[in-house]
Amino acid sequence: MKVDIENLHVAYAGRTVVSGVGLLAAEGEITGLIGPNGSGKSTLLRTVYRHLQPTAGRVLLSGTDIRELSPARAARYVAALPQERGGDFELSVREVVAMGRTPHKRGFAGDDATDRDIVARALAEVGMAQHTGRRFSALSGGERQRVLLARALAQDPEVLVLDEPTNHLDIRHQVDLLALLRVQRRTTLVSLHDLNAAASVCDRLHVLHHGMLVASGRPREVLTPALLAEVFGVRAAVVDHPLTGDPLIAFDHRLPVEAMQGTGTALEV
Amino acid sequence: MISNLWSRKDVGPKSAESRSVSAAPVAAALGVALLLALTAAVSWGSTFIPHGDVWGVVGRRLSGENARLGTYDLVVWQLRVPRAVLAALVGAGLGLVGTAVQALVRNPLADPYLLGISSGASLGAVAAIVLGVGAGGALGLGLSSAAFVGALATFAVVWAVARRGGNFGPLRLVLAGVAIGQFLSGFTSYLVLQSGDVQQTHSVLFWLMGSLSGASWPLLAAPAVAVPVALLWLQARARGLNALLMGDETAAGLGVDVVRLRRELFTLTSLLTGILVAVSGAIAFVALMVPHVCRMVVGGDHRRLLPVSALLGALLLVVVDIVCRTAMDAQELPVGVVTSLIGAPALLYLLDRRSGDGS
Repeated sequence: MKVDIENLHVAYAGRTVVSGVGLLAAEGEITGLIGPNGSGKSTLLRTVYRHLQPTAGRVLLSGTDIRELSPARAARYVAALPQERGGDFELSVREVVAMGRTPHKRGFAGDDATDRDIVARALAEVGMAQHTGRRFSALSGGERQRVLLARALAQDPEVLVLDEPTNHLDIRHQVDLLALLRVQRRTTLVSLHDLNAAASVCDRLHVLHHGMLVASGRPREVLTPALLAEVFGVRAAVVDHPLTGDPLIAFDHRLPVEAMQGTGTALEV
Repeated sequence: MISNLWSRKDVGPKSAESRSVSAAPVAAALGVALLLALTAAVSWGSTFIPHGDVWGVVGRRLSGENARLGTYDLVVWQLRVPRAVLAALVGAGLGLVGTAVQALVRNPLADPYLLGISSGASLGAVAAIVLGVGAGGALGLGLSSAAFVGALATFAVVWAVARRGGNFGPLRLVLAGVAIGQFLSGFTSYLVLQSGDVQQTHSVLFWLMGSLSGASWPLLAAPAVAVPVALLWLQARARGLNALLMGDETAAGLGVDVVRLRRELFTLTSLLTGILVAVSGAIAFVALMVPHVCRMVVGGDHRRLLPVSALLGALLLVVVDIVCRTAMDAQELPVGVVTSLIGAPALLYLLDRRSGDGS
């Protein structure tokens, strides 16, 4: 299943946050959203999993506008991993993952053997099978994120939408999580802060800046020194990764780009 | 192959094990305890009535025999049974409304009493009496409606005040509720005292502390319908309530219509609080404590939490009412006195435990 985003405008708290973005997340591919803080990545993703309504434009699931689907129906196709932590309500790991079955159930229906099987498999996929009885709120940040990913997998969706899934994870868990996304081969729409991670796992990248789409394409086409300077305001070289051959961005952490260009003005953020 | 990637063991504290046990035996045990407590509640009082006679009267009444036979019929059937059943219904209702409010505001420290909703309901009911609306023959329906309006309006104001400035911390909500609740309670006291014709059952004490002393068969009608309906309604949405605990975005991603569910929960909790307050006044702490205790035993999943909270709330209030009726020789204590004596220390313990979590 592919996700078509057409000319999307989204306002949030009275301010236009996304304006006129159009992009395609192709079937089975990992589509990355990158951009500085406040560029509209999260807002765009929230519209795809229907937390926010667009003011104009559409999100199409294989041609069907998501607003024409019931909330539960849409959630059977699209699972989300938002940046929320949840409160302390004595929920166990298993109970949190079992929430993924919510859109597949109506009214009083309990979890049957299939549901329990799907939950167990999702927990195994993220390596949390031994922790099913633990209290969710007592987990470390990395463990929580894996459990929340398992919840999204338990939804058995065609499309995964992930908002900064590697935040708060140590490097090993970042690598593991992104590897898991790659083997899933589901249509995946993911926002990432780490540009090198984006360059190596994403099939396509879309760059947002002030709510507008400024570049799209293969990571190697998109991640150029000129774009990095313009959008992120940094000086960087793009080289080949010595191990994988993926684009590797080597940042210059010492000086802002304007200073290097001789303008002498400090970088405004 | 991929599963091996995460085979490294993250060593976590063993004490973090969730203590949830299967709900069925807990519910069964609570059900049996409730029956025993109800029997005791009818037996014990100014005169002791043997358990066998209690069930004899109830059996004759339920089987439709001409029942005016037994010595105890009047005391058992007209006084003590309605009172015990009222205690059970109100307790169950408080357990449910506490669970629902806590999920609605995503705050385990919330309940209709702390949030001022009960005080709003009391004021609504008292205003109706003073204006002469609820006193009529509609058997408390006018009173319940007025209490519902008071509860709904108060909840809306507390919600709006807590949200001002954007951040919606759990303590801010509770503080707003306590402040507004106190204000409304003061207003209620004034209205009752200045109205002059203070009936015993509708005294200041009744509305502010809660009391079951007004129990009668007709009074049971509204809660007897509302509490089971609320349980079924909430039970059908238990998965949605679970999702709400994780946050609005998560719930939306799980296919829950968050705006609609919130609006419905808002109405349901106000309605249920209004009905409960109309028959028993504002009873403190039961709705706060019961879901907490139940979460510790059966875990946070609402599919188990809701029925167990209803049962424990019923059991708790039946037992508390026995204490209220028998603790002093000459008169009885308002039920809210005893729930406050138990509940306030429990709240302090919870606050302490939560700050100890560091989260």
